Amino acid sequence: MIDLGALTLEWGSMLFQFIAFLILLVIVRKFAVGPVTKIMETRRQNIASEIEAAEKNRKESEGFIAEQRRLLDEARQETKAILERASKQAQDEEARIKHEALEAAARIKAEATAEIARETEKAKEELRKQMAGLSVMLASKIIEKELDEATQKETIDQFLKQVGDRL
Amino acid sequence: MLTAFAQIKRYNKEYVFLIEQYACNTSISERGEHIVDHFTYRFQLGPLVFDLATIIMIVVTALVVFIMLVAMTRNLTAGVPRGTQNVLEWIVDFVAGIVRSFMDTKTAARFVTLAVTLFLYIILGNWLGLAFNVLTVHTPDNTSSEFIHQLAISSSDQATAAREAKIMNAFEDHSVHVAWWKSPTATASVTFTLALTVLLYSQWIDIRRVGVGKYFKHFLNPIHLLEELVIKPLTLPLRLFGNIFAGEVLISFLLSASIFISTIPLIIWLGYSVFVGAIQAYIFTTLTMVYISQKLSDGH
Repeated sequence: MIDLGALTLEWGSMLFQFIAFLILLVIVRKFAVGPVTKIMETRRQNIASEIEAAEKNRKESEGFIAEQRRLLDEARQETKAILERASKQAQDEEARIKHEALEAAARIKAEATAEIARETEKAKEELRKQMAGLSVMLASKIIEKELDEATQKETIDQFLKQVGDRL
Repeated sequence: MLTAFAQIKRYNKEYVFLIEQYACNTSISERGEHIVDHFTYRFQLGPLVFDLATIIMIVVTALVVFIMLVAMTRNLTAGVPRGTQNVLEWIVDFVAGIVRSFMDTKTAARFVTLAVTLFLYIILGNWLGLAFNVLTVHTPDNTSSEFIHQLAISSSDQATAAREAKIMNAFEDHSVHVAWWKSPTATASVTFTLALTVLLYSQWIDIRRVGVGKYFKHFLNPIHLLEELVIKPLTLPLRLFGNIFAGEVLISFLLSASIFISTIPLIIWLGYSVFVGAIQAYIFTTLTMVYISQKLSDGH
């Protein structure tokens, strides 16, 4: 051994320390570094695969979202087209109905006018008939009463005037 | 031979236990005298000298590391780590981070075990000596000459005789203290062994990489020769040994002083020593990786 007072090197102690250190190396490898390294590696791989899966899912969802957005746009355009078409149809319908209504009104008016003319004509005819009857009646009454010429004339004038006013 | 009593003091919340054992015939008043000069029990097997305190502490430290790791790895999961697994993963990741800062990740994986072992062994070794001291106090009445001889074993017969004389001399004015518990890293044998092991390993990596002929050609450069054979093998172990040994010397010194004077400096110094213990473990591990990484490329 080497003895320098406080600093001593005993070969026996050194040999013992060397062997103890080698044994300790084996133990540390077996109980600590080995298993811990393995577990940390496993965890690293787990995390890596999970991140990868998450990334994949994210990409997939992005695809889905784009698809959904496209479909939504399509639907919106379709809706717009449908609405436009419906609106145009409604306008056409409106125009058609208005036109028909006007036509109908005109027809009804014409019919009514014709009816009125016809009725007027009919009334005149009736009147003429009544007037003739009345004239006969008047004539017979005058005859019955033997009215003088003047009175007769006056009566006839009066009558004709009455008729003229009514017509 | 020895009867002992343990004195446990609790300092605030630090829970620092100081166990000091005394021979029953040692009076308290004697404590405080000449305590800094500690002896250790040595024995010889063939040509090899062993230091019992060092061997005890090597075994204790290795066992602490072992038990700690077994306790921490009982329920490992690749899912969300809980409790001690977090601590263990943090330690492994921290040390692996040191290794990775000097080499690429794939190469670093080869040296993580070495770095973790060094780091845990040194940091726990540094701290174990701070937890408490175990000393036996010897007087001529309770000490046999065989025991004194064991304390005195040294490099040569003359040196042993000189140490024996020194111990007998010490008995004349005070008792002799024998340490049984200290930081393993406060022992030069331990730090030199760790340092030489990793340095030889780095040389081996170099030989395997460049081949024997080219490897020895390196040493034609005197600066290189000096660096590899003198500077690195001396600075790496001595830095660790010096820091921890000095810390323990100061702790023994403070323990030997009056409790009223030394308590507060002791707490401060123990706290600082915890810091130094961690820093030295970090430095030793880092430098080991620097030296290894130098051998992994032609860069230097």
